[in-house]
Amino acid sequence: MGTLAMPENVNDFYRVLPGTIAGWTKPDAPDLYTPENLSKYIDGGAELYLSYNFKNALALKYKDPGGNEIEVDIFDMGSGPDSFGVFAHSRETIDDRFGQGCEYAAGLLTFWKDRYYVSILAYPETPERKDVVFKLGRAIEAAIKDTGALPPIIGLLPAENLLPESVHYFHHYIWLNSFTFVSNDNVLNIGNDTPAALGKYRQGGAAFFLLLVRYPDSARAEAADAQFRQKLLDGAADGLRQTKEGRWTGLQCRGDLVSIVFNAPDESTIRAIFAKIKN
Amino acid sequence: MKNRTSISRRQFIIGASAAALGTRLKLSGQVTTASVTSAKSRVVLVRDLNALDENGSPKYAAVQEMLDTGIKALTGKPDPQSAWKTIIKPNDIVGIKNNRWAYLKTTAEVENSLKKRIMEVGVKEADISVDDLGVLQNPIFQKATALINARPMRSHHWAGVGGLIKNYIMFIPDPSVIHPDSCADLASIWDLPVIKGKTRLNVLVMFTPQFHSFGPHSFNPKYVWKYHGLMLGFDPVAIDATGLRIIEAIRRDYFAEDRPLNPPAKHIAIADSKYHLGTADPQKIELIKIGYDKDSFV
Repeated sequence: MGTLAMPENVNDFYRVLPGTIAGWTKPDAPDLYTPENLSKYIDGGAELYLSYNFKNALALKYKDPGGNEIEVDIFDMGSGPDSFGVFAHSRETIDDRFGQGCEYAAGLLTFWKDRYYVSILAYPETPERKDVVFKLGRAIEAAIKDTGALPPIIGLLPAENLLPESVHYFHHYIWLNSFTFVSNDNVLNIGNDTPAALGKYRQGGAAFFLLLVRYPDSARAEAADAQFRQKLLDGAADGLRQTKEGRWTGLQCRGDLVSIVFNAPDESTIRAIFAKIKN
Repeated sequence: MKNRTSISRRQFIIGASAAALGTRLKLSGQVTTASVTSAKSRVVLVRDLNALDENGSPKYAAVQEMLDTGIKALTGKPDPQSAWKTIIKPNDIVGIKNNRWAYLKTTAEVENSLKKRIMEVGVKEADISVDDLGVLQNPIFQKATALINARPMRSHHWAGVGGLIKNYIMFIPDPSVIHPDSCADLASIWDLPVIKGKTRLNVLVMFTPQFHSFGPHSFNPKYVWKYHGLMLGFDPVAIDATGLRIIEAIRRDYFAEDRPLNPPAKHIAIADSKYHLGTADPQKIELIKIGYDKDSFV
């Protein structure tokens, strides 16, 4: 493995990665991507990364003599919160074997550390390829000396009954529908300056969801509150409304923070979790 | 190619509407759909457990048979040759718009099966082209009189799903211009002169649809489902809407909870309500199911 000070940008990771490993050979040069050309590379998937303030990426393919490939992608997301956000977007489990959180399934390892989101894909998976994927992951992880901050807003999600693998962070309204369909529209005026956290809770066999959105000021929070109340709660003065499926939606605005519970079994569940939010 | 006896062994089921049309498919006697209304958009779903080999790759003979079965049910003609003659003329110039995504392609088996039947109509091989990213530069596509739209359905990080409506995105020079609001206006592409009125057949490949996206390339084999299906029709919105119902049902089955696509695939409903490209309303879709019916989800 190469020895190097902490990479200052994604280009530096090329030198960290081994030239050969278990018969797999690194290419002569990596490909580098910016927000302007990322869609040329990941073909339709770029918008996810752009919505998390993507800065640039390094991509390269190790090849074996048979022409098989192991794809290594390292994304500089610019900050710990955005790196966490893009990682958590599709994770299913809690796994701390790599970086500050990882996921491995069927040949694909993803993890985040500091401002970097890393993906290593060997498809189809074999035990030998999995071993190479893990070794490459270790090399990249070791080169990232710092750790990244988690988005402060996720710390406001009450811990009791929270499924930690469900925690999402975002600041683009498109990701509002992660667990339950809320709206096709930006009903909460979510944008780059409104960090949002979403978590799933399981209590007594029932699952419900808590969304928190932090606005730059209380006036914008109140405007979002009013819009949501009017469009999705039929203007309910108490912020509570029962859905046609018999579940409950609850809305609360305190200062610059809007909190919404979806799919709750009853009103008391909503009130109880609202009371636990430390703002 | 398999004979009819082999078809009947594979639990073939056909909807009453196909039977009413006088198709000569082998019937098992099971009827899975009943509605027949000429005003409805017909979608034919053909499934065959024999479509994939042990590695999950499609088998040419099975694919050809599935397409033949589907086009007969779609057109009401007794054989694939006469069915194809209702949609393609010998002097047509035909572009087959595929999808070359490395992990889930249209597949050569589907492309070659389509091409074979088009050539049997009398179209010269030199007047047929299969392309994806290069359609705007492809001379056949530039002068095409007929298009065949064929691709797999898969979950998509930004559009909810990628299906038939989305498959024409390469007909615009900069696809990113259609990205705002999670690709809500994809159907607007279908009004471009290079496309409008030219699509003769839509084929949604559902051999191994991907129901969940994971990682930068959106792909993980953990999230593909062996569905062994092909869907055919003239209405891309009706087929995509049906495919979406299948994807959503697979997600419910896999995750054991209602897990909506994120973002929602709203471009399909908008293709109906705003662009009137077809219908997304299941009540206005005549679904004909042929073949293996377990876990069809529709």
